Amino acid sequence: MAELNPKKSTLHCELVFEGAWPTSVAFLGSGRKLAAGNRDGVLLVWDLPAEPSKDAILPVRKLEGHTNAINRLVATDDGKLLISASHDKTVRVWDPNVESAGSAELIIDAEQREREAKKNPKGDALSKPGVKVATQTAQHVFTGHRDWVQALGLSRDQKRLISGDDSGLVQIWDLASRKEVAKWTGNPGNWITSACLSPDGQTAFVAEFCAPRGSFDRPPAQVRLFDVTTGKETLDFLKVLYPNIKVRDNSYGYATTWGQFVAQGLVAAEFSPDGKLLALAQGGETGTGKVHLMDVATGKLVRGISGHQSGACDATFSADGQYVLSVGRDTLLRICQVADGKEVAQLGKSRGGQFKDWLHAVALSPDQQWLAAADISGRVLVWKMG
Amino acid sequence: MKSFCPRSEHLSRRALLKGALATTAGGVLMNWGDLFGSAARAAEAAKDQKSCILLWMNGGASQFETFDMKVGRPTGGPFRPIQTNVAGTQICELMPKMAQQMDKVAVIRSMRTSQIDHPGGIHLMHTGYGPSPNIRYPEIGAICAKFIGGEKPDLPNFIKISSNGDSGAGFLGPNYQPFGLDHDGRLPPFSVSSLDPKAEERRNSLRQFVEESFTADRKVEVARMHQEAYESVRRLQKTLKVFDIEKEWEKYRDLYGDSKVGKSCLLARRLVESGVAFIEVGQSGYDTHADNFAGHKGLVPPMEHAWAGLLSDLHDRGMLKNTLVVWMGEIGRTPTINNRSGRDHYVRSWSTVLAGARIKPGVVYGETDLDGKDVKDKPVTEGDFFATIYKSLGMNPNKENYQGVRPIPLAPFGSKVVDELLA
Repeated sequence: MAELNPKKSTLHCELVFEGAWPTSVAFLGSGRKLAAGNRDGVLLVWDLPAEPSKDAILPVRKLEGHTNAINRLVATDDGKLLISASHDKTVRVWDPNVESAGSAELIIDAEQREREAKKNPKGDALSKPGVKVATQTAQHVFTGHRDWVQALGLSRDQKRLISGDDSGLVQIWDLASRKEVAKWTGNPGNWITSACLSPDGQTAFVAEFCAPRGSFDRPPAQVRLFDVTTGKETLDFLKVLYPNIKVRDNSYGYATTWGQFVAQGLVAAEFSPDGKLLALAQGGETGTGKVHLMDVATGKLVRGISGHQSGACDATFSADGQYVLSVGRDTLLRICQVADGKEVAQLGKSRGGQFKDWLHAVALSPDQQWLAAADISGRVLVWKMG
Repeated sequence: MKSFCPRSEHLSRRALLKGALATTAGGVLMNWGDLFGSAARAAEAAKDQKSCILLWMNGGASQFETFDMKVGRPTGGPFRPIQTNVAGTQICELMPKMAQQMDKVAVIRSMRTSQIDHPGGIHLMHTGYGPSPNIRYPEIGAICAKFIGGEKPDLPNFIKISSNGDSGAGFLGPNYQPFGLDHDGRLPPFSVSSLDPKAEERRNSLRQFVEESFTADRKVEVARMHQEAYESVRRLQKTLKVFDIEKEWEKYRDLYGDSKVGKSCLLARRLVESGVAFIEVGQSGYDTHADNFAGHKGLVPPMEHAWAGLLSDLHDRGMLKNTLVVWMGEIGRTPTINNRSGRDHYVRSWSTVLAGARIKPGVVYGETDLDGKDVKDKPVTEGDFFATIYKSLGMNPNKENYQGVRPIPLAPFGSKVVDELLA
C-alpha cells in the first residue's frame, strides 16, 4: 500500500454517467477497475485508462438486476466481489470478473444529446446508437429486507457484511456462505441510515433516524454499538454524549438535543482500520455537515472534522487510517488528517446556486492510488493520487 | 392582607376571561347580527346534520408521492405504485392502508389553482378566495359552522387541531371563529377551570348578577358578546370529556396508528359524533424543497394510517354518509426534482381527495400529462373545488354572505360544481 499524499492528487478523468444521479462508487481491487451505481438502479463498471485522456471513457459492463436506486457499494480488497444495496429492498453480490452473459446498448450521455438536439434539431443526437456493454447478473441476492436498504458495510477481514433498511431491520451476513449470522430491529419507526462492522466483524455500529412524522412527532434517533453474535447493545453514543437525555423519548425537546449530533441522520459510518475510531457523517440538509470522529471504547467525541455546507453525503478512512475523506452537498471532496482534524486537501469545485450540487459518494482504492467521487451532475470524478 | 381568593384561582379566572374575550375579539363588525342565529338557519341545519373533517397537509404534499405517480419518468422519484381496492387505480406504496380504502374516496388529479406560495395558498385553500386587502374572507370551517353547525352548541362548531390558516371567521364575525387545540389535542388553558364546581357556580351567579345589573341600562353589543362568550366557555366545560381520548385510544390505536396525527383523527371522529360541524386536523412538514422523498417517507405513513382508520371508523359507524372528509394542502409540488433532492411549489397540476357525504366513491377525476407538468383533462380550480365541497355538504355554493352591503357567495363567482364527483 502506497503512502497517500493528498496534496499531490490530480484529476485523472471524468466518467460520463448521465440520467439519474450517480449515487455510489467503489473500486474493484487495486487495479483500474471502478463501479458506480445511480438512482435508477443502473450499475456500471469502467476500466480506467493508465494515463489521463480527453477521449470519452466508456463503461465496459452493466450489472443488471436492481430496479431502484443503488444506495451503497462495497467491494472486497481483491476486487473479486462487489456488493450493492438498493431501494429495491435487495442486497446483491456480484462477481465482476465472471464471463458476460450478454450485451446491451446503453445511453449514458442523455443530457449531452438533448443539448445537441436543441442546437441542431435536424441532427441525429437523439437517435444515434448508444454504448454497447457486456451484461451480467448478480451471483447472489439477499432478499430478507422489507424496505429501502440504505446501510451497507463490509468488515475489513472481508468475512462479514451488515445491511440495514428503512423498516429498522439490521442483518449480518457471512459473506462466504451467504448465510444470515444475526438480525435485529431498531427503535419502532426508525430507518437504518448507516451501519458498519469493526475490522474483526465482531462489533456492529448502527445509526437510526426518521424524518419527522408531523409537528413535534419524531421517533428518537439511535446511535449504538452492538455485539454481532448476540445482537445486544454494547454502547449508546447519545447516552454518553447527552447523559441526561431519555433516549427513547420522542419529544421535540429531546429531538433538538440529539439533533445537534445526528443532524438529519448519520448517513455514512466507517470504523478506522485499527477499529479504535468511528467516522460518522452528518447528512440530510443541515447547517454543519460534520464528520464526527468517535472513540469506540468510550463513546466520546474525539473531534468534529470537515464540515460540508448543507450536509455530508459520505465519508471513509484512508487504508492507512491517517486521513478521513468526505464528500457532501457542497460539491467538494475534503481530506482531513485524523490526528488533528486539519483539512489538508479539497478536491472538486463548489457548483450550483444558493444550494450547491452534491458529491454523493466517495471511494479510495485499496492501494490508495485512486480516488473517485459520484457527482450528481452525471459524472464520476477520478483522481490519481500522488 | 389576605387575598379573597387563592392566587391560583385568581389566575385561572383571569385566564378564563382572557380566553373568552380572545375568542370573541379580532372580528370585524359585519355579520355580528348572526351571533344569535336565526330560526330559518336552525331549521336548515337540523334537517340533515352534516359535518366536515379537513385533513390539512401543511406545506403542500407531493402529488407524485401520493396520488399521481409518474413512475419511470424523470419526474417520477423513487417510490413505486401499489394496486388499490379499486380496479385500475394505483397509488403510492407509502399508502398501503389507504389503498384498501380507495373505494370510499374520490381523487382529483387535475387541480389547477392560483396561489403558488404558502400564505396565499393557505388562504386560498381555506377560503376559496385569493387574499384581498379589502375583504376578510371566512374559512371553510367558519362557513360550515354558520350553515351546518348547531345553534348555541355546547361544543364550538369550528375546531382546529394542530392546524393552520389564519383567516378564521373573517367577515362572518367572532361567533364562527375557530377553537384551536394544540398539537397534542390539548385544550387551551382558558377552557379549564381549576375551581371547585360549587365555587365556580357561585362565582358564575355573582358574575351574571353583576353583568346583568351593568347591562340593564347599557344595551351595547360588546357587553352581550362578553356574556355570550362567557356562557359558551361554560357550556364547553360541561363537554370536556369528549376531548379526552386516552380511554378510547387503547382500543383504536391500531386502527388509527400510533402517532399524533392518529390521535388527532380519533378526536376528530369523536367531535363529529358530538355534533361539531367542522374539524380541521393539521400535519405539518410537507414543504420539502430539500429531501422530498425522505420527508414524505416520514410524513405520509402515519398520516395515511390515520386517514384510513378515520374513513373505516366513520363508515363502520354509519357516519361517513353525512361526514365529508377532505384531504388537501395549499399547493402541489414540482415535477422537477431540484439539486437538494427536493420538489418546489407547483399549482399547475396537483391532487386533492374527497370522501363521504355526497361524494361518489371509488372515482379518479381528471388526468395529468406524462410527466405531471400540466392538466391533460378536466381541470378543477379552487372555486370549483369549494363549490363541490359546499354542495356535497348540502349548501348552495351560490348562497351569499354580506360584507356590509357587498354580496359574497360561498364559492367565488363563476365556480362550477363538479357534478361527476357527486353521487
